[in-house]
Amino acid sequence: MDISVKGALVQNGMQAASYPPRSIHSMAWMAWIAAIVVIATLTRNPFYLGLMIAIAAFVRWRWTTQLALPQVALLSPLRFSLLVVASAALFNMAMVHTGSNVLFVLPSWIPLLGGAWTLEALVYGALNGVALVSLFLGFSVLNHATSVRSLLRLIPRAFYPAAVVTSIAVSFIPTTLQQIEQIREAQAVRGHRLRGVRSWLPLTIPLLEGGVERALQLAEAMTARGFASGAPVQKRWSQWLVLAGFVGVVVGWLLQIIWRQQEIGIALLVLGTLLVLAGLWRAGRRHPHTVYRAERWQLHDWLVVLGAGVAVVAYLLPWFERETLFYYPYPTLTWPLFDWRIGLATLGLLAPALS
Amino acid sequence: MTRALRLATYSLTSLVGLAAFLYPFWLPEVTQNADGTLAHAHDSALMVTLLVGLCFVVLLLEVQQDAVGAKMIALLGVLVAINATLRFIETAIPGPGGFSPIFLLIVLGGYVFGGGFGFLLGALTLLVSALVTGGVGPWLPYQMFAAGWVGLTAPLCRPIAAFLDRVTTPRVSRALHHSLRTELWTLALFAAYWGLLYGAIMNLWFWPFAVGPAQMHWTPGVGAWETVQRYLVFYVVTSLAWDLARAGGNLLLVAVAGTALLRILRRFQRRFTFVYAPTIYQEGASQESASREGKAEIAWTSQ
Repeated sequence: MDISVKGALVQNGMQAASYPPRSIHSMAWMAWIAAIVVIATLTRNPFYLGLMIAIAAFVRWRWTTQLALPQVALLSPLRFSLLVVASAALFNMAMVHTGSNVLFVLPSWIPLLGGAWTLEALVYGALNGVALVSLFLGFSVLNHATSVRSLLRLIPRAFYPAAVVTSIAVSFIPTTLQQIEQIREAQAVRGHRLRGVRSWLPLTIPLLEGGVERALQLAEAMTARGFASGAPVQKRWSQWLVLAGFVGVVVGWLLQIIWRQQEIGIALLVLGTLLVLAGLWRAGRRHPHTVYRAERWQLHDWLVVLGAGVAVVAYLLPWFERETLFYYPYPTLTWPLFDWRIGLATLGLLAPALS
Repeated sequence: MTRALRLATYSLTSLVGLAAFLYPFWLPEVTQNADGTLAHAHDSALMVTLLVGLCFVVLLLEVQQDAVGAKMIALLGVLVAINATLRFIETAIPGPGGFSPIFLLIVLGGYVFGGGFGFLLGALTLLVSALVTGGVGPWLPYQMFAAGWVGLTAPLCRPIAAFLDRVTTPRVSRALHHSLRTELWTLALFAAYWGLLYGAIMNLWFWPFAVGPAQMHWTPGVGAWETVQRYLVFYVVTSLAWDLARAGGNLLLVAVAGTALLRILRRFQRRFTFVYAPTIYQEGASQESASREGKAEIAWTSQ
């Protein structure tokens, strides 16, 4: 995917400067995208996937027109989706040779490709492609509708050093672009033209030299303002907690899938998750900070979260005809079933388009 | 205690991360029920994704301890900015397809400043360039993890380079000139190797989508070996050419620019690894007067 850099930078700058009037809180967007990821990984039913793609496309249309953003992607989303679906279908058909509706047969001496190429494999491959497209579409909505700053703010407080590095890097990107332009001009004056792998040398070395200088100036400025003047932390209880929780989760999962110990497995999973959360909370307490301009949590943010929650619950809990989710065309192609209640719950994902 | 924690974190996350990346090969085998169906076939993909995320969180919590002090944080921030910018202007300077310049700095940075630094450099480069260009997606955690691994493992080149140097160079000439050449070739080959491996790891992310959840592509009697064969075909067809270009590009880039960049990074490391520490006077009177007036003199202590 090729993206015009300047367009993207301008776009993000614009969004950071002026929030759209009815913006949605970035946490609400996270709930929305989590619902999309869960559904796209779970189901292979073309009805549900198609419904979700239609919803995501509608939300994307609403948000791109609302903000009047330039279209930055080189390959149009439609063409890209068709490419993904076609290649996934072809690949599955070439690899999986089961199914009763045989389209044609290749001689069996060809390794892996030889055998019957079936309609079932074609359908199933295409469905995998459709699931992938729905994921892409959901994330493209996220990329359009949220600003870099609000995404940066989502980094948990436990990762304060990493978050500081990230925000420094984001703020330094325009400067770096400027510097690259200057280096390019300077080299052009000397008769160099940047092309091919060999051009990386006269570009990267001045860039890195300048970068190191800037890093030192920045470090001095930070130290002068009292950054990290305290002693480094020696106690690492929070890390031990997180590590123990991690081991608990892994062991619990393995107990479940290999040794079929459902109860102990689930107990360990829950315990491990709690330990990880406790450790992260403890690590985050070390870095109290305040936000200059906080995002406001409004009524329609509740709506978005509620809609995403309803959709996920319908797909995860066994209240409705959950068997319709796992559509499986082998061995003979059948018409997929559709539970209207699950379809109705999927409409909860429309909430961002309503605000 | 700190070392034990670090060792435990590195080994556990690497082990679990590796197993999670390779799950399409072993999971159907172990979850097979007596009747040939698979237990947990539907939620295993989701669970593996969560596990990879958890691995990343645990590892990040440990390695960010390396980014302590304003100088390291500032250097890391600026290097990430440079690397992320290089990643998206790569189209401005044509190279072979699949080629990406980011691995140069990740490998060299990890090699000079240590694995934790390298991990942060790799992972945050991909995060920042995704944020800026609007490339956030489900592939991002995997990319961050894989690129972080490149930097995390870069210090492994140190003993290898030292060993090769001892083997190949006679003692007399070793004393005369620095072992830059062996070092450079070790790093170049390491970068080329990771060029291939990075592609294979990213393919493994995509693989379950190409063949569907475990239940679907798995048939009783088809063992792990055939899955590996299928994966190899998938790999050769879809990405070997790109990965070879990436590996070749990495090799070339490190070989061409490595010496100069190593010199710059080491100069930074030598000249600016110092800490500010207040001097404490031993004589009682002067210490009292200093503390009463609230003036602690700043001395430069080299670390």
